[in-house]
Amino acid sequence: MTLVLVADDSETILLLMRTRLELAGYEVETAADGQEVTERLRNGGPLPDLLLLDAMMPRKSGIDALRELRAEGIETPALIVSAHQDATDADAPSDLEVSGFVTKPIDFDRLLESIAELTRD
Amino acid sequence: MAVIGVGRFIQQRQDFEDAIGRSYRVEMAARVRLAQGSGSKTARATVATQARRREELRDQISADTRDTALLVAAGLIAGLTGALLLFSGLIASMRRPLEELVDAAGQLAAGDRSARVEVGGLSETATLGAAFNEMADELEQEASQRDQLDRLKDEFVLTASHELRSPLTSVLGFAELLMLERDSLTSKQVDTVEIILDNCRHLVRLLNDLLDLARSDAGRLAITPAPTEVAPLLDDAVRTMRAQTEAGNQTLSLQIEPGLPLVEAEADRIRQILVNLLTNAHEYSPEGASIAVTARVLGAEVEIAVTDDGPGIPESQLEHIFERFTRGDAGLTQRVGGTGLGLAISKSLVELHGGTIAVDSTPGGGSTFSFRLPAAAGPTPGHGRAAEEASR
Repeated sequence: MTLVLVADDSETILLLMRTRLELAGYEVETAADGQEVTERLRNGGPLPDLLLLDAMMPRKSGIDALRELRAEGIETPALIVSAHQDATDADAPSDLEVSGFVTKPIDFDRLLESIAELTRD
Repeated sequence: MAVIGVGRFIQQRQDFEDAIGRSYRVEMAARVRLAQGSGSKTARATVATQARRREELRDQISADTRDTALLVAAGLIAGLTGALLLFSGLIASMRRPLEELVDAAGQLAAGDRSARVEVGGLSETATLGAAFNEMADELEQEASQRDQLDRLKDEFVLTASHELRSPLTSVLGFAELLMLERDSLTSKQVDTVEIILDNCRHLVRLLNDLLDLARSDAGRLAITPAPTEVAPLLDDAVRTMRAQTEAGNQTLSLQIEPGLPLVEAEADRIRQILVNLLTNAHEYSPEGASIAVTARVLGAEVEIAVTDDGPGIPESQLEHIFERFTRGDAGLTQRVGGTGLGLAISKSLVELHGGTIAVDSTPGGGSTFSFRLPAAAGPTPGHGRAAEEASR
């Protein structure tokens, strides 16, 4: 089963994401911030097939978490969720390999399409 | 000089009258002696001499009067010239600071808040200059406070619309989730969820529009134009609107002139403008109305127009139509779900592209909103499509 690790500081958003993704047939793990994501992967947690990270979180943002993971050689595809209406690939720090941006409010049809594409073997 | 002349003239006149008086007295004495019969010869000579003397005195005084008049006139002219010189000097000394004031006032009016004058000259102009500088100081201070308030307002709108997005995502997301299981909901529940969804989408539009306007005000609404094909954008916008126009039994047609050049534009923003214009046409037109999207080339520009045969716009509203929160008749507004910001944003966006937007409407005769975009340099794509008609 395809595993998606979702990080957001809002429990409600996490619940929403989990419900929608599980309905679409994904296995979902959640984290409250970037710190939790990096710690879990460093401590030998299961390597997800996709990361869905909120751009802005307390303690550690999705961008910073992803930067650390990339530095450690973890190449898992990652989508950054942003509350910026017009977030685009152009906003991604150039040193960071981001698979795409998702804007809030989330268009789930589009998000599920992207996830399917990124996790296709 | 004139005063000296007049003084001397009065003195001369006095002397003359004294001399005339003396002459008469001498003559009278001579005539008395003649009447007494004594010394008649010398007395007669004295009478004649005195008459001649008075004659000479009169000549003398009239010559003196003429001289004095000339002297007075010369004095007056000299005095006037002097006064004139003095006065023009005075004017010159007032004029320089006044001119400086006029210049500075002009600069201030033109927006140069640092315009000040050098305080100096006569005490009146110095006071005026000081008052001007004081006023300019206050204006500068007020302007900078206003700028700061504007920045705060923009920051506030940016932050608020950003912060509102997360809870809105949840409400919208869970309502959508409910709709995924609509089969297990009663029809009343489905209606309820649909109302929630409608309002969420409205809020999203409002947030996006507010954000765009705040960015536009802050000069941070940026576009990245690239040579873009018009036809797919129009197709896309029309497809987006199809469901809504069909629900209102409205005809939505698309006509694109063949051989249309590429435009220099950001595709998403052009789509946004089109959807704004189409949403207005749809919402302000009655059931069964016709809405047409057309595109044609006009010189070095491409004109895209959205025409409806709806109720039209009264002239009094036309001139404010592109201002924010301007909307059509209140009667219609009741059922119109727009934000009142769409046209203001569309105008900003079109202008950001270096284009123009216009409206043409007559009450009862429908409305046409059209905008022009500069054509991109380079070859035109070969496949323009003509008269792509689709309805209901």
